[in-house]
This record gives sequence, structure tokens and C-alpha cells, in this order.
Amino acid sequence: MKEVLQLTNDIQDVPRLGEWVEHIGELWELPMPKVFNLNLALEEAVVNVMNYAYPGQQGMPVVITASDENGVQTFTIEDEGIPFDPTLKEDPDITLGLDDRPTGGLGIFLVKELMSSVSYEWKSGKNVLTLTL
Amino acid sequence: MNITISEKNGTVIGVLDGRLDTAAAPQFAKDMEPLMAKANLPIVLDCTKLEYVSSSGLRLFLTLRKKTMAEGGSVTIKGVNAEIKQVFTITGFNSLFNFE
Repeated sequence: MKEVLQLTNDIQDVPRLGEWVEHIGELWELPMPKVFNLNLALEEAVVNVMNYAYPGQQGMPVVITASDENGVQTFTIEDEGIPFDPTLKEDPDITLGLDDRPTGGLGIFLVKELMSSVSYEWKSGKNVLTLTL
Repeated sequence: MNITISEKNGTVIGVLDGRLDTAAAPQFAKDMEPLMAKANLPIVLDCTKLEYVSSSGLRLFLTLRKKTMAEGGSVTIKGVNAEIKQVFTITGFNSLFNFE
């Protein structure tokens, strides 16, 4: 079973992702904490694509696919922008105190922490990030 | 996403209501400017009605916290739901704020 959401690289599309995740949650009968984690992980991964994949370009595709195969629930995020493997990004030091703590750099870290697994491949000219719930 | 700000007995209270996602963050940053201007005082963020927050929202919380540290105030986060509390724990933010 597959469900697909087509967004563009516009931050104003982010609320549509939230609505779609709610829909998936109902369809798959996911408990509320899982829906929250899924929403957050997908938002962080998608926003990363929106911000960096297509420098200077608007209206470019960001496609999210949900699939449930034999109880394994995975999500892919595909874009046709510049090749980038977010899984290689170094984790932030979350033990730093207020003085030294940067205000950003948490997005991809949250994706990795909230999902069971995260993997990247460059396939047919696309970045494909796969998240397993 | 809404924030209602009031001041009582020298404490500034911001009541947050809604979903603080990446799309909502720029407007929220403007709406919380009155809090930033009071960073010398104790600030309470009442998050009882905050449903969701992404890293763009966390960034704003931390920006406010840093400003209070520089100016002698504080930030207390009140009433966050279990999911948001978990995000604070994962990111190590739980050690940077007071919780109530």
C-alpha cells in the first residue's frame, strides 16, 4: 500500500505535510506519539530539502511516499536537486551549555533519533532518503 | 500558531497555542519580540496548548533563553505535552531550561 504527497520546495507547503501525516496516522492506525515523531522527522528532512536542494529555484518537486509492506512502514523523500547525503552530517553536541550551544543544526539529528533507521541513496538523478518508522 | 503575552508581578507570561512548524516560525519570531524585549525578567512559556514544535521553533526558544542569560532573566517552560518533552530530552534542551 502506497500513499504519495507531492510538495514543492516552498516552506509554505509544510502544513500540508502535517495534514498528510495525520491522514497516514488514521489510515495505519498509528498511536499519537508515533504520529508526532513521524511528523517531526518528515518535516525536518523535507525542510532540509526545501532549504538546500534547489538554490535559487522555485516550484521544484519534493515527493514523499509512504509504504507499508508486510508491516514494515517506510517513507521516502525524493528530490531532483543537488546531490546531498544528510546522513553524513555530524551530530550536534547536545551536552554543550548555553554559552556554547549553537541555535541550529538539530534537524537531521532529530530525524535520526526519531526514526528506526535512515538511509540515503543517489538514484536515477534523484536524492532518495528512506526513513523507517 | 498564536502567542498571548502578559505581565504580572514582575513575571512575563507567554501562552502558546497551536502548531509551531517551520512555516509558522517566522511569524512567531515576530510575535515573540515583546518577550525578547523583557529578557531581563523571569519569563514563563505556558505550553499547555502547544501541540507541536519543530527545530525552527526550538531555535526560537533557545534564542530567547540565550538573551535572558545575557540580561539576567530566566525562561520556565510550563505544561509541555509528553511528545514535546521528549524532543527537549533528545536535543539536550532539558538541561537549558527550567520546567514546571
